[in-house]
This record gives sequence, C-alpha cells and structure tokens, in this order.
Amino acid sequence: MPQLQADLLVIGGGATGAGIAWDAALRGFDTILVERYDLATGTTGRFHGLLHSGGRYAVKDPDAARECIEENRILRRIAAGSIEDTGGLFVVTPGDDPAYADRLLAGCAETGVPCEEIGVEQALRSEPRLNPQIKRALRVPDASIDVWLLVNGLARGAADRGARILPYHEVVAVHRGDDAITGVRAHNHVTGEDVDIEAGFTINASGAWAAQVCELAGIEGVGVVPGKGIMIAMNHRLVNTVVNRCIPPSDGDILVPIRTVSVIGTTDVHVTDPDDHEISQDEVDQMLDSGEQLVPGFRQARALRVWTGARPLFRDEKADQAGDREISRAHTLLDHLERDGLARFLTITSGKLTTYRLMAKDTVDGMCRQLGLDRPTTTADTPLPDYRDGSAFRLGGRLRHKEDHLLDEQLVCECELVPRAWLEEHVRASGTTNLDDLRRSLRLGMGPCQGGFCMYRAAGIVQGIKDLAAPEADTSLRNFLEERWKGVWPILYGDQLRQARLDDWIFQGLLDVEHLPGDGAAHVASHGRRTAPAGMPDEDA
Amino acid sequence: MREPMRYDVIVVGAGVAGLVAAVRAAEGGARVLVLAKGVGATHLAPGTVDVLGYADGHRVQRPLDELPDFIGAHPGHPYVMVGAEEIEAALKWLQARVAAGPLPGYRYVGSPGENLLLPTAVGALKPSALAPASVAAGDLRDGGRLALVTIGQLRDFFPALAAAALAQVDGVQARAIELPLRAAARNDLNALGLAERFEDVVFRESVAAALHGRLEDDERVGFPAALGLQDPDGVWSDLQERLGRPVFEIPTLPPSVPGIRLFGILRAALRRAGGRIVVGGEVTGVEAERAHVRAVRAHVAAREQRHSTDWLVLATGGFASGGLEMDSRWQVHEPVLGLPVTGVPDPGAPRFTPRYFDDHPLARAGIATDAYQRPVAPSGERLYENVLVAGAALAGAAPWREKSGDGISVATGYRAGGQILEQVTPAAGGSQTTVSTEA
Repeated sequence: MPQLQADLLVIGGGATGAGIAWDAALRGFDTILVERYDLATGTTGRFHGLLHSGGRYAVKDPDAARECIEENRILRRIAAGSIEDTGGLFVVTPGDDPAYADRLLAGCAETGVPCEEIGVEQALRSEPRLNPQIKRALRVPDASIDVWLLVNGLARGAADRGARILPYHEVVAVHRGDDAITGVRAHNHVTGEDVDIEAGFTINASGAWAAQVCELAGIEGVGVVPGKGIMIAMNHRLVNTVVNRCIPPSDGDILVPIRTVSVIGTTDVHVTDPDDHEISQDEVDQMLDSGEQLVPGFRQARALRVWTGARPLFRDEKADQAGDREISRAHTLLDHLERDGLARFLTITSGKLTTYRLMAKDTVDGMCRQLGLDRPTTTADTPLPDYRDGSAFRLGGRLRHKEDHLLDEQLVCECELVPRAWLEEHVRASGTTNLDDLRRSLRLGMGPCQGGFCMYRAAGIVQGIKDLAAPEADTSLRNFLEERWKGVWPILYGDQLRQARLDDWIFQGLLDVEHLPGDGAAHVASHGRRTAPAGMPDEDA
Repeated sequence: MREPMRYDVIVVGAGVAGLVAAVRAAEGGARVLVLAKGVGATHLAPGTVDVLGYADGHRVQRPLDELPDFIGAHPGHPYVMVGAEEIEAALKWLQARVAAGPLPGYRYVGSPGENLLLPTAVGALKPSALAPASVAAGDLRDGGRLALVTIGQLRDFFPALAAAALAQVDGVQARAIELPLRAAARNDLNALGLAERFEDVVFRESVAAALHGRLEDDERVGFPAALGLQDPDGVWSDLQERLGRPVFEIPTLPPSVPGIRLFGILRAALRRAGGRIVVGGEVTGVEAERAHVRAVRAHVAAREQRHSTDWLVLATGGFASGGLEMDSRWQVHEPVLGLPVTGVPDPGAPRFTPRYFDDHPLARAGIATDAYQRPVAPSGERLYENVLVAGAALAGAAPWREKSGDGISVATGYRAGGQILEQVTPAAGGSQTTVSTEA
C-alpha cells in the first residue's frame, strides 16, 4: 500500500478545505488535501453562487453580517477573477411587510454593511424584468462568485507551494493513537487502491460530512444536521443584479445571476443524510412560484438544471446535554484535544461560503495554537496566483476571446463558448478523462443544451489525447449522461423538455450510446471509478 | 387582401411524415399545401429509415418477422394500425421517390425484411431498415476492416472514439485517421460546411492524396456523412474510384447532411406533383364545424392567411419538434388543434424516472387515434372526421429507444396520404366526402 507523509492533512475539498490548504501552504506547512470525489462537489459546488454582502443577516445575526461584509471586501481583493460585481438588491414584493426594509436598513447601518434605499423606478430601470409591483428597493454590495474558479484557484495556489491535492481519495479509516490522531487511510477511486497518509496534524473540513469523519475517528456526539436546499438554474440572466426578497430569511428568497444563468434558491429541510439529493415536484413548484414573485413570467423561462445542497448545521450533543439546543449557523471549530482528549485533530464545520477564508484562518490558527507555533495567516493580503492582476470576472470575457479567434479556433461548447484548445490543455494538465469533471472545470455543457452537442465532441477529443480503452471511454460518456439526467428530469417542461428530447435524438437516435459494443456498464468495476458513484453531486451554477 | 385559398389537403409539419403524406396525396391529384413553422426533424436525424431496431431489450434482425410479436406486446403502438404490409409498401414507395429525385444516382437501399447494422459516430451498431447507399456501404453485418477518416477542421466527428468502440465487435477491425487538411478558412466546420467542400473536385483530390499509401488492402474507408449535398452520388463514386475501395458515410451531429438531402428530395417530389410548401408558416388557428376542420389560419411572412381545406394532416411531431408541449404546471398541450394527449402520467405521478436509459412514463405520450389515424378522445369518441395524425405526434411509441422513428413517420405519412386519395376525386375541387365511419 502506498504511504504518504505530511505536516498537515486536510479532509475535504470544498471551499473550506481548499482554503485551509492554501492558508497552511502560505504559512509553510507541508500539506496534503484529500477529497472523496472531485474538488467542490459537496456543499460548495451545490450552491447558488451568492457572495453575501451581509445584508441577509443584518437583522437576525449581526455578527454574521459583520463577518460577511469584511470577507466580501477581502475576497474581492484576493480572488477577484472569480467574482462578478453584480451588486445586490433587496426588494419588497407585493404582500411583503414594507417595514422590514427599515429594520434591514437599521441592521446594515449597525453592522457596517453599505445599504441604501433607491427609488422603485430606478430599480426597475436597472432591472426591467423585476416585478413592477415592488414597493421598495435597497441596494447592497452582494456579488456572484464562481465556486469552481475559486476552489480550483485555491487548490492551484496551494499546489504551487508544494501542497498535494488528491481528489477522488475517500477517507475510509482514521488512524488513532492513544491520545492523538495520526493520519488516515484513503481509498483512491481512480486506481482502486488504498493509500495510508501519516500526518502531524489532521483537519476535518468535510462540512456536512464532518460527523461521519468524526465517527471514523471514534469521536461520538458530533452532530451535523444537513440542511437540504434546492436550487434551479434558469437559462439566461433574468436579472443582472442579485435580487433578494426583502423579508426575513425564507424559502425562495434569492435570485443570483452567475455566468450565463441565474439561480433561484432555496429551501432548508433538515435531513439525516448529506448525500440525500431527492427533489420533489412540490419543491420545484415552490421555487418557480417564488421566481414568479420576483420576476413575473419566470415560469415561461427555461429551467436548465436543478440540484440540492446540504448546508452543515452544527449541533454538539455534548452541548445539548448542557441544555443548549440552539443550532448554530456561524462556523464551528471543534478542538478535539479539549473536547475529547485527542490531540492533533480539529473539525471545522457550519459557516457559509462567503466566510470560507475566515474559517480557514481560524482553523489553521487553532492548529498553530495547539502546536505552540506562531505563524500568522497572510491570506487576507495575498491574491490567489490565478487572480494576481486583480481584475474582476467579466461576463463578456469568453465572447471577446471567441471574437478574437473567430477563424482559427474550434468551439467545443457553443453555449458556454469553450474552445477546443482549452479543453485539450485542461485534459493534458489535469489528466482527467471524466466528462463531468471537465464540465465543472470549464463549464462545458452547462448551458441550454446541457451537453447535447459538446459531450460527444468532448468525449472524442479526450479519446484523441488519452487513447482510452473503449470500455472506459464508453463508461465516461454514459456516466455523464446519467449524471446529467439526475439534474434535469425533475424540471423538464417547456422549451427545455423540447431540448432534452433533441438531446435524446442525438444520444439515442443518432449515436445510440445505449448500445455501445461491449457492455460498458459491466466494465465500471474493473476499470475503476473515473466518475463518482451514483448519488454523486450534480451541482451547477 | 388576396382571395382565400382552397386546398384538398393541408399538411401541418414538414418532417418526414408530413412530406410523405403530402407527396403521396399530391401525386394522386390532390391539391396540397404543407405549412411548417420550420424545417422538420430531417435536419437532425441521421437520414436512415429505422423501422424497428430494438424490441423489449433485444436487437431486432428482421423487423417484419418480429412485428407480430412486437405489436402484440405494444397494443397502443402506431404499428398496430399500420401493419407489416403497409410498412413494406411505404418504404418501397420512398425508395422510388429517392431514385426518381433530383440527386442523380442517389438511392436508398435495404429493406424492412432485414436490418443493416450501421456504425454510429460513437461506434455503436445501429439497426436500420433503409439507408442511403453511401451510408449502407458501412454495413457491418459481416464485419470487416474500417479506416475512419476525418478532417481536423470538422468539429463534429471523432473517429478515434468510434474506432475504439467498433474494435470491440467480433469480426470488426477499426482505426482512425485524422487528415490535417485545410478545407476552409474557418477552423470550425460542421458537416454541412464540409459537404460543400466535398463537392469540389480539387478538395477530393487532396483528400485522396492525403490518404495515399495509408490504407490497407481490405479496408473500407468511412467518412463523416458530409460527402456532398448537390451531387452526393457523384462525390461518393468519385472518392471510391480515387481510393480504389469501398467508401461509406457515418451520420454525425446535426445539421444532418443525409437528412437535408432527404428533405430536398421530398420537397422536390411535392413540387413536381404540384404541391406547395411554406416553411415559416405557423398555424395560428383552425376553423371547424361539426367535427370537420374547414379552414386553417396561418402566420406567413408577417401576414395572416386563411386557407380552406377538406383535409388536415397533423404531422407536427412530438415534444422535440413542438408538436406536443408541456408547461411549467406539467400540463401537456397539442398546440394546433388542442387535441387531448394520451400517455401523460397523472399530476403528481413521475413523468420521468431517475435513470436516463429507463423507459420513462412520459416517453409514449402523444395523440391517440382510431384505426384510420383520426384523433380520438380518451373515451374513444372521434374528434375530427377529416383530420389524420401522422409521425411522432402519434401516441404509443418510444421511437429513439426502439429505433422506429422514421419507420413510423414514413408508414403513417404514406398511409395518411393514401387514405385521403381514396376519398378525393382528382381535379374535382370542392368535392369532399368523409372516410367511412366504422373503425
């Protein structure tokens, strides 16, 4: 069995884990990060894309609001290229209590979140699709953030400083000495091998899965309640500004324009399994009705994809016994030395994407404290290597690129304007052959046709580079179709149903992917898992 | 305003079903108008005629032989009312139209008696009853050695993928060759753009030269289905001659060159028979009285037109073509006549299931008809006496999974045209009878 050693082992490749790897690498720790599937396929990737201004928390949770605005400003400096400065609005829609806007203004003033009331007319001028019946509109510095750009940027930055980032490595055992955690055993889903990792320190940054990792370590009573929320990506940017409904936090209260789509969310249903991604028709209808409230005619727009994400809500059963039943939304750092007498092991959970950097900093600070080291964080002032030039993400960037290369470049994905050269470069650099990973990395197949045209092309291009054995290539294409289907079938209506039938025409009527020679499905086991197992995330945004 | 126009038959939809119905009726002397919102599925589909490729999990070798069992197992299927004989007749009729069409030498080969096994662009073997001769030349029922060739500038064909898969088939050897030829200024060709290039003899020469010395003796050479649009048989023959071996085409991503050829052939046949076709004519309303459609209103070139007619053939397709629509409250509509749609799961029941290759509950939704293809209500009551439904709008089939799509379209379109002819006296404008009412 292969053996690896590091100062620090991070479990979890979401924003928090990748943020910890980057923070720790900057502080000079030799770091390994393991993630059970691809990076950002847990809660991070199953997200609506909102970089909070803090306005959403200004009334109910002033501390969270303060954290959000501070981090919002930091991230615009250090991860500029992953953030689009859309701005945000809180709008009072018909039937909402107009007085809540006053509470919001007051809360924002108190917590330092810039918030000004603008006229309804001005709001409608800037966002003409907004419900013309809105009664008030407040402007806040919300933004949208591309989590794949962010997490891949963090991982690349960490790797540049020597960190080893290991996707598709699932922790199957946690090694425990008498009074300390000493590492883990991870299963490599690509090769099918197990690997032992010995670590001077281990951080459990698995978020909604934190309780499961603690159980592997023999730690009892860590309660993480997955709060399942549904999100639907709509074709087009129905709005160009983040639109929040100006009411206390509620279901379906946010519409986020991100890249070429807009995402409506969300709900909060407490479930037992963070991998529970079941979507009910009622939830879909609820989101469409909420969208209609913000943007009349919403139901006539095309819904591209639906997914759910599990927010980790922390509840420590040890604290429960002391009578504190409050479920915390702020992030929670558990020092298992204090809590369980186990050294060299921390768990970080809860929190929100906007504050991932702060979570990472607090966690690495906690490790330094336990190790008696004085190495302060530098993440607030160190731009990610990919974003050193400090310019924000601009929606027209890809179109400009295409226009500059009109004659010489071949497009793989017309919806998201992905040139063949980017795909080839990425496949060569990352070594991945997984079409679903390519989708996340390049936004290949995230547009209206949901891979109808580009996935055949991508499979062909990958084949040209990697010369895969046929069963592997077939499995990759078929698994992509299955993964895609999970995110589209609950929202197929209108033009998107038509699009899906056109895609059937291509994949079944023209290519007949169902009947490839040799039973591809039978080869899944023997050729390792290039694609995550069934039930695997199916995020978008 | 112009005088309202009168037709014996108005066909709504210019896919294979609509065009076949229109041509057959027009050739029999009926005055025919085809109204279509846009071009039909011909431009998407591979241009083969698949009658029945898969039945209940197994690959079908002999569609006509298996039809009785298939019909028995699928009582709501369109083939139940068509039957084997008429399928065979319809396909022969189509082959004759192709042979007599505007593309010299171009023809469809095969028969519903036995399926061809045609390599697809991912390397599956697809059972098809008929195919253009240039596509059928890739038939792999007896295996063989293939060299699959593409031009680097084409963005829609990847022979490495197909070759890897095909090499797994017993008796088949396949490899891929990518030619670094410059076919066009723009590095972003689709099949249609490449088809234009193949019309050029100089380009064909360069292809042959690039392949010179690279082919094995017994290799057939497969190209993406882009071997010409105006004179595909000439292009195909010329390449075979230059390469000194059999050449074939593999259908690839839309726009479909073989499909566009078929559309052109049927449109030419319609015009030759005196029929009219308006693509870009959206039906906006239908006038009916006592279960008879009397006139059709259409929006054509920003104008409203009204055409009276004795017959209406509804060949608007399924969900893919806009012939059926589902709104965000999961209600299904047929937009031209507002016909009831059968096979739609009850509200709240799943329309689809979580595995892509499942048989989905909504898959067989469509218009239910009587044995004459006249639309019926769920009670079985006939809704229109002079409306016939053809093609993918019909309920009961899962065309992509069965590989039955164009078979259903050709057969039901042929049959609809034929039934109208039995009732229309040629050149006797204004005459009108209804088909007999016993179903």
